Amino acid sequence: MAKFRFRKVIIAVHRDIGYFFAGLTVLYAISGVAVNHIEDWNPNYTVTHTERSIGDLEGVPDDGMAAEVLGRLGLEEKPKAAVRMSEKEFRIFLEDRTLHVATPSGQIVDELVSRRAGFFQVNYLHLNHAKGLWTWFADIYAVGLLILAMTGIFIITGKKGLGGRGRWLLVVGTAIPLIFLLLKT
Amino acid sequence: MTADIVILDMGGMMKRNLMFVMIVVLLAAGTALAGDSTKYGEGVGLEKAVSIEKLLASPADYLGQEVRVDGTITGVCKKRGCWMQVTDEKGNGVRIKVEDGVIVFPATSMGHTASAQGVFEGVPVAAQAKKHEGENHEGDKHEACDAKPHGEMVYFIKGTGAIIES
Repeated sequence: MAKFRFRKVIIAVHRDIGYFFAGLTVLYAISGVAVNHIEDWNPNYTVTHTERSIGDLEGVPDDGMAAEVLGRLGLEEKPKAAVRMSEKEFRIFLEDRTLHVATPSGQIVDELVSRRAGFFQVNYLHLNHAKGLWTWFADIYAVGLLILAMTGIFIITGKKGLGGRGRWLLVVGTAIPLIFLLLKT
Repeated sequence: MTADIVILDMGGMMKRNLMFVMIVVLLAAGTALAGDSTKYGEGVGLEKAVSIEKLLASPADYLGQEVRVDGTITGVCKKRGCWMQVTDEKGNGVRIKVEDGVIVFPATSMGHTASAQGVFEGVPVAAQAKKHEGENHEGDKHEACDAKPHGEMVYFIKGTGAIIES
């Protein structure tokens, strides 16, 4: 009777925590794959560079450079900042956009930075950039995963459970990271 | 019967949990969106900033010291957010390098005003090159994370915190 009750409880706990965290698990899984491959792509932003030419800027003073460049490009946006980076480069900062202006040639590299829709948000949560209260919720989620793993082990009995195939899957699944650590560290 | 009662109780508890989580998420979102400036890491504790021009003109005077610099963000690591370049009005810039993942500067902060604090450090150009020896430099992945050299040395601030104005 006690054994029967124990199994009912773990099934209920596993089911309810599973439902509760299913959405977040999917988001974290997507983010996990995305950031695993950070050497190959930028999981948070898309950065595009477009080259333009606006003609000679000889004689344009630095304090009027931004207005002159934006005027020639037909942009009415007020820049966040404009900085002389070196004798040959002037940078104009717009919203999510930077104009790298070569002076005095007037060659421009227009750099546009956009958040990668969906990925930026899930990475923001997964990598805990939110900090603060999200840290607490992420900790609760981690405990939830631990409970899911522990209860999951005991849900099935018999040949497919811990008494049979389940035992071997558990051993192999635990051994893989341990062997990897032994070989790599 | 006993199991049914247990399941019913769990359902009630889950409803309460769900409400708690929703409140937490809303508060977290509110916190993230609030304010005109955003603090990164430990923020900035030093009251007085060192001019970047002075820092780069006589770096030996500041090596190993905790310094604060103010300026405009003119560069950010767009992949990992692991560094940002703070430049003064004369075009003197210094890179603020932070530990990957501990502090992440957003790529969209380009052009914003910032204050940053950390320990001013310098490494010989040769040592920096050796650090990446044997690594795959395809696409200049690492070069982008390293500050520009001043003579034989590369100077940067090992950042502990920053405040970026919106």
